[in-house]
Amino acid sequence: MLSFLTARQNGVDGPIRLRRAESTRRVLSLELNHDRDVARVHGNGVNTIDIEAIEGRYMLSGGSDGVIVVYDLENNSKKPQYTCKAICTVGRSSRHVHKFSVETVQWYPHDTGMFISSSFDKTMKVWDTETLKPAEVFQFEGNVYCHHMSPLARKHALIAVGTKDPKVQLCDLKSGSRSHVLQGHKGEVLSVRWSPRYEHILATASADSRVRVWDVRRASGSLFNLDQHNGDKSKASSEAVNAAHDGRVNGLCFTYDGLYLLTTGTDDRVRLWNSATGENTLVNYGKVVNESRKGLKFSVSKGCSPEFMFVPSGSSVAMYAVHTGELVTMLNGHYNSVDCCEFHPDYQELYSGGKDCNILAWVPLLRHPDVEDEGSTAASQSAAQSAVNPAFEDAWSSSDED
Amino acid sequence: MNRKRTLISETFNAKKRKFGADNSGKLHGEDDQDGPVDVKASLVYLMSLFPRKLFNDSLPTIAIKHQLYSLHDARTLVDRQLNLLREQGELLMFQLGFDADAFGLVFTPDYKAKVLAGVEGKKTQGTVEKFLDKVVQSCTDLSFNKDQMLKQYLFTDSEITQLVKSGVLTVRDAGSWWLSVPNLGKFTKYLIQGRKAVLTMVKKSRYGEVMKADLEQRRTTSQVKFHMKYHLHDIMGAELVQRSVFSIFLKTLRFILLISI
Repeated sequence: MLSFLTARQNGVDGPIRLRRAESTRRVLSLELNHDRDVARVHGNGVNTIDIEAIEGRYMLSGGSDGVIVVYDLENNSKKPQYTCKAICTVGRSSRHVHKFSVETVQWYPHDTGMFISSSFDKTMKVWDTETLKPAEVFQFEGNVYCHHMSPLARKHALIAVGTKDPKVQLCDLKSGSRSHVLQGHKGEVLSVRWSPRYEHILATASADSRVRVWDVRRASGSLFNLDQHNGDKSKASSEAVNAAHDGRVNGLCFTYDGLYLLTTGTDDRVRLWNSATGENTLVNYGKVVNESRKGLKFSVSKGCSPEFMFVPSGSSVAMYAVHTGELVTMLNGHYNSVDCCEFHPDYQELYSGGKDCNILAWVPLLRHPDVEDEGSTAASQSAAQSAVNPAFEDAWSSSDED
Repeated sequence: MNRKRTLISETFNAKKRKFGADNSGKLHGEDDQDGPVDVKASLVYLMSLFPRKLFNDSLPTIAIKHQLYSLHDARTLVDRQLNLLREQGELLMFQLGFDADAFGLVFTPDYKAKVLAGVEGKKTQGTVEKFLDKVVQSCTDLSFNKDQMLKQYLFTDSEITQLVKSGVLTVRDAGSWWLSVPNLGKFTKYLIQGRKAVLTMVKKSRYGEVMKADLEQRRTTSQVKFHMKYHLHDIMGAELVQRSVFSIFLKTLRFILLISI
């Protein structure tokens, strides 16, 4: 690390290199910390977490009891011991609370005045954060598994919704109505995700083992379908030809630059795809236990080299290097299965929520100050005096004689 | 490539190994994480564990693809080297049949020798030779469909039937076939039997954990027909058991056990 610092000082390296090296070091040392805690509000499992992108200060969580909670992640107390408090909740006593479990929550991408939640009670509600009342309610015919709003859209304000119906619905926030429907899947749509690179590209994953990539401006169907064998029909058994996974595909995540797409499926595999061509990069992550019947929410690191992926696997979170496929570590701490995890890009922290109603914060291990070895016992006695170099000591005295 | 500056990812590799498991339990045949991944050498080692005598020399030595994952950590690199060997024509991969993910590997000269020996003097000899020359030599596919066989390789229907009879092709569904090895059924049967027996041994032990060295020493029942190490590489590579932190215990994942068998 010192070499990175001196290289930065001398101008040999650009500033981003030091930042990447430090981010990577921090992500590699993630662990549970006594000092950081998140207030426990949910009475039933936590299904989804979202951290807002503008300040990185507020976190939303949605639970199986239909409750939605907003937490403040910033530590304003001067002590290292800090519990992330719940600022406000849409609890069971509220008139507008969801009747069944909340499956997905997302902050409005441009400010925290609004957030959107979708639930198994077949509705999607757009909430005003100030008053905690829904400004808009969208009704659907089947359970809503997931929704996503594009983080960089300027030309449209579309929310993509995946429900039990094989058709992917697009709802327009500006007009409050459904704008159009994307047809092509044959099973329930478990996960939808907009590309973080192009505002019109959408990826959807379904229980029929297929992942489709769409351009919402096009009138005809999907752009392409992800095929795990890259068109090599000889490898698959004949029923599973042209499918992304051998089971239901229940998780989707783009990398932060939008160039690659990660998918997880109930065949216990994670696959990395080139998002422009739809080609399977054939990176082998091994067996990633996946038994979720609904969507699985996982996330990718940002600003590290190499990039890391955090996938909930059973009752722990598995951390893999994205492009080489090696397992870096398993983060154990939950008592029951983990349903969602979210990476905080500014502080390199990971928040994960699961069926045990806890949200755990994984914090990078702080560096301990180096202790000099020689004469440490003698030095510790005179530590108070030798703490400051005598040349810098303040020798000023107000008395005339000194 | 000679880099003047190291990659950021490489500066953390040395640190990661400090956190990693203690690998003192590894034996000579297994690799260490530093050296370049030598898939061919590992394949030769795995094939040496294969019991020829059990099948009266009628089968070529077969290794299973996921056994390589138990020997090398970097799965993606192993996959890439395997594909390279297959494209060079040195290695053949085929479906084992009981699992969509289980592939068997044979060296091409071995395979050809055994197949020709098995078909010596029979009516099907000519067809099989033609198949080996035309198809196995040139393409790396795992399965063939009717169109391909009739038009590209110019086989007739009766010739295809002969190939299936001799065991070089097995039926996949109406109009398509997997590449296969003659007498493969016996191998698959013994493999599944032995795998079940070894997994039961691990499961029955105290806490579901066994030391690897201990397992290798144990007396095996008549169900286990292959070398113990062959089965161990098989179950470790297929992730039916898990290496515990100190790398000398084998712990079963019970629910995986129930699903896989």
